[in-house]
Amino acid sequence: MDDFFFSLLLAGISVGAVYALIALGLNLTFWTTKTLNFGQGSLMMLCAMLTVIIFSQGLAITLAVVGSLVVVAALGMFIERWTVRPALKSSGGSMGWVVSTLGFGIFLQGMAAKYFGSQAVAFPDVVFTAQDFVTVFGQYISLQYLVVLAVAVALILAFELFIRRTVWGQAVHAVSLDPELALVQGIPVRRLILGSFMLSSVLAGVAGVLIAQIGGTVDPAFGFDLVLLGFVAAVLGGMGSSLGALAGGLLVGVISKLVGGYVSTAAEHGIAFALLMLALAVRPQGLFGRPEVSKA
Amino acid sequence: MLELRDLSVHYGAVRALEGVSLQAAPGGITAILGANGAGKSSLMRAISGIAPVVAGQVLLDGQDIIALPPPARARLGVAHAMEGRRLFRQLTVEDNLRLAWSFGARREKLAASLAEVYARFPILETKARTAAGLLSGGQQQMLILSCTTIRNPRFLLLDEPSLGLAPIIVQQIYGFITDYAAKSGIVVIIAEQMAALALKVSRQGMVLRRGRVVLAGAGEELLRGRDGTTLAASYL
Ligand SMILES: Nc1ncnc2c1ncn2[C@@H]1O[C@H](COP(=O)(O)OP(=O)(O)OP(=O)(O)O)[C@@H](O)[C@H]1O
Ligand SMILES: [Mg+2]
Repeated sequence: MDDFFFSLLLAGISVGAVYALIALGLNLTFWTTKTLNFGQGSLMMLCAMLTVIIFSQGLAITLAVVGSLVVVAALGMFIERWTVRPALKSSGGSMGWVVSTLGFGIFLQGMAAKYFGSQAVAFPDVVFTAQDFVTVFGQYISLQYLVVLAVAVALILAFELFIRRTVWGQAVHAVSLDPELALVQGIPVRRLILGSFMLSSVLAGVAGVLIAQIGGTVDPAFGFDLVLLGFVAAVLGGMGSSLGALAGGLLVGVISKLVGGYVSTAAEHGIAFALLMLALAVRPQGLFGRPEVSKA
Repeated sequence: MLELRDLSVHYGAVRALEGVSLQAAPGGITAILGANGAGKSSLMRAISGIAPVVAGQVLLDGQDIIALPPPARARLGVAHAMEGRRLFRQLTVEDNLRLAWSFGARREKLAASLAEVYARFPILETKARTAAGLLSGGQQQMLILSCTTIRNPRFLLLDEPSLGLAPIIVQQIYGFITDYAAKSGIVVIIAEQMAALALKVSRQGMVLRRGRVVLAGAGEELLRGRDGTTLAASYL
């Protein structure tokens, strides 16, 4: 296989797995509230940024990452309580959350620019450097990409196990199907919603750290494209479908890297939206989305 | 003991319940009767916490629960089988039961609780892996009832359990409800339009009309009529 093609493919799969992670996070709040947290982009940025800052104070990188994730999880709670819940409560149009979550994201981005500067800062090499390779069958494989892929896939699996095999995962599913019935059955829906925003934010935070590791830098505007790419992945795969999130993520990752490599890096992210429009025209419910199941 | 004091439920300008009071002691069935739109479901929804209560109290063993959210009431032992055959339709029969058990009182192990349900309704065991939405109406009603009893409730609210079912199935369902009420000794409240059906098994009954109590008394009494006021008349 052509070396260049192969490296693009691996890069595409790696970032695609991260997009899938973002898409899973979006799915999670969609399940519990039928809303998406568009502030996730800024949470990705903030998590990566905080990791750099804490790390630069001389703490271990794992501590830096965990500490940043805790901050991001708390912000996820804040977003649910103060941007999504009021928007859902207010009468007249239920789309207020789009503006309020996006707005909070832009606010975070502004704060980051003010306090950390708008320059890109270097993200530390966590396990391997960008120059570390292994060769398999004569192909160079970037270890950094491999690690990112491994972490993303492990998290996707853990998330799926949690949703499918645990009572709380089942409860999330139940809330997505009939919130009122869930309430009268004693499922603490409020807490579940809060938890879904926290977990979704943590997934975004991890995605931010992983992408920053690959890209090598992070700046305040860093997450904006990413949350949109995750959104494209989620819609492509079928909003709410886990398998769809994975397929959509990989599709977006691979196609955008191939376009970036063979056509132009300027078109790399744009192509995802072309893909989105095409998919919506051909198959609006997404690859794995099912049309609404009608009530018998 | 379940007690309602001057309970009012309004949906905006619609007054679904106006100053309704009720006392339901454990160990007997209370029938809530009334035509379409009388306020039966609103009364039950007010107890489980999903109706807009504007005035009045709901007391469980003397404790006013009006400020508690629905899950907290469920934890206190309120189980509500809502109207319209509400189930998690995309989940399997067993998943529905497991979920109901998981957030219930969990007095027994899951396996034992499931075995009890399946012994009572063997068809549910046969259909354990079938999506609940694909069951027949009667089977769905059996599952709904089982989802409430598997939680070991102390206050059981059943909203029109006979709706849309064949007479033979209605017999079976009512047989189960009476047995369960007698055996468990809990508070059971049934909303029904089929007055005779519910009153036959009830200790007491109440007839609602446009959100107000128009008749209340012992089940027998209401069934036979009293002081020239027949049950049928209060419906009109
Ligand atoms: N969510 C709601 N919003 C507005 N009005 C409502 C709502 N739910 C019920 N109502 C109104 O409240 C009144 C009582 O309704 P409720 O459902 O309690 O009656 P019901 O006795 O259960 O009737 P049925 O036998 O048809 O189930 C009706 O006039 C109904 O239209
Ligand atoms: Mg009703």
